[in-house]
Amino acid sequence: MHERLSFYVHRESFLHHLNPLTKLTLVLGLILVAFMAPFYWTPHFLILFAIIPLGFLGRVAYQYFNAALKLILPAAGFLFIMQALFQPFEGQELFRFYFLHPTLESVMFAFSNATRIIVMVSSFTLLLLTTHPSELMSDLTRRGLPPQFAYVIISTLQILPQMQAKAQTIIAAQRSRGLDTDGSFVKRVGALVPLVGPLVFGSLVEVEERAIAIEARGFTSTHPKTSLREIPDSNLDRIIRWFLVVIVIVTVGLKIWLS
Amino acid sequence: MAIVNLQNVTYKYPLTESLALNNINLQVNEGEFVAIVGPNGAGKSTLCYTLAGFVPHFFKGELTGMVEVAGVESQKSKLHEWVLNVGLAFQNPFNQISGAKYTVYEELAFGLENIGIPRDEIKIRVEDAMSLTGIRDLADRSPYSLSGGQQQRVALTSILVMQPKVLVLDEPTSQMDPIGTREVFGVIRQMAHRGLTVILVEHKVEWIANFADRVVALKDGSILLEGTPSEVLTSDLLAENGFGISRYTSVARKAKAQGLWKKERLPVTLDEAVEGFALTPGPSPEGRGE
Repeated sequence: MHERLSFYVHRESFLHHLNPLTKLTLVLGLILVAFMAPFYWTPHFLILFAIIPLGFLGRVAYQYFNAALKLILPAAGFLFIMQALFQPFEGQELFRFYFLHPTLESVMFAFSNATRIIVMVSSFTLLLLTTHPSELMSDLTRRGLPPQFAYVIISTLQILPQMQAKAQTIIAAQRSRGLDTDGSFVKRVGALVPLVGPLVFGSLVEVEERAIAIEARGFTSTHPKTSLREIPDSNLDRIIRWFLVVIVIVTVGLKIWLS
Repeated sequence: MAIVNLQNVTYKYPLTESLALNNINLQVNEGEFVAIVGPNGAGKSTLCYTLAGFVPHFFKGELTGMVEVAGVESQKSKLHEWVLNVGLAFQNPFNQISGAKYTVYEELAFGLENIGIPRDEIKIRVEDAMSLTGIRDLADRSPYSLSGGQQQRVALTSILVMQPKVLVLDEPTSQMDPIGTREVFGVIRQMAHRGLTVILVEHKVEWIANFADRVVALKDGSILLEGTPSEVLTSDLLAENGFGISRYTSVARKAKAQGLWKKERLPVTLDEAVEGFALTPGPSPEGRGE
């Protein structure tokens, strides 16, 4: 059973030592450039010369390629097929199969879109692989993110696997009392009904207790909060962030100028 | 000097008719260990929530009378200030883990971060509390990977680091196995030795007899009996009102009815029972059916 829902891989690397906000800026920068750049090959170029090198720089290339093969590529591939077949672009028809008649333009469009999605998901994957969730949230809280918001994100990541385990227990309990959870789709959906009640009502009670527990530990205190973790934020971090901001501005400028 | 002072406290949960607490008067002195017993629905948890400020600040409802801890009145105070004086731990250890932290060490620091304690002092307080409750070896584990007893010790330690004046424990061992129970009571003993004022709701009366200075028996929201553990826990009133009582008390009560228990007072613990039954003359060697 998973104890937590986290992609974080502990390593000593340049990426790991960057400030979380710098990495977040990097992610947003990559996404904005991939979507806004006026050149067709920009997202493809970003994958080859930014995303993949960053994976090696963060020493998480293996985990990244693993996620890419299992998750990102299939999703992007599906998107590509759907858009290539169903986008109603006029132009050079490639083939005709019943009502499907993809054009060169629709395929080009789908290819570029799928690559943009790969850039987006990949850069977030790299962020999650190299940044501990509590570090990200502590840093953002320090910079003004409401602590309630940070709490919801982090605790969800931790409590979801626990709820999953609880659901398994309830299913086992209902099955031992004769509930049939195999068989046709309709039957299996029907079998979920006796699971929902205990899980949802149980969770509501838990939420109240957890609210009391964190309240008892001063969660709503009006004091400015402190943090046990020291999160580095060097001059290099600041330089990188400003550099990224400049790149995004230049990209947007080019887009406006060239269109 | 009473650190906890409840006067004519009556409370009704919102949207209910019956009184959850009915005219409670209770004083607890600094450093005292008070145990609260009572059948289900007696108002034990409500009393804990009242002491910890969640009644009325969290649950709303109608509270009358005076709840005072360390000279401050609950209704005139804010909940987030109140919790600094009164620490609360309850049954389910799993729900007391904040979920916001990935290691036990960070979990213990959570409350201190919330109230703005500087980093260096957080470390001192966490280390200190971990040694006291003997969970130093768990520091780097995930709170979710622990056993129930370990989790409950983490939950108690996470309250202890806040350095409250009064500790309110609502059945902290009710979901524990015997080993977990022993672990948790070990921690409670340490806290009491440190001079903390402890108010403990507990069903396991044999443990209470060993720890508590005073026992309060609660029934239908009112105080039924109050006194030393052996006075209260062996009282006939408790047995008649559906309280959980020690098996040694029950056995001795039956023995007494047949003249086989010679002492005035009934036992609560095994040791007291052994001591008392030793006074009962056994069958003489000649009378063994020869």
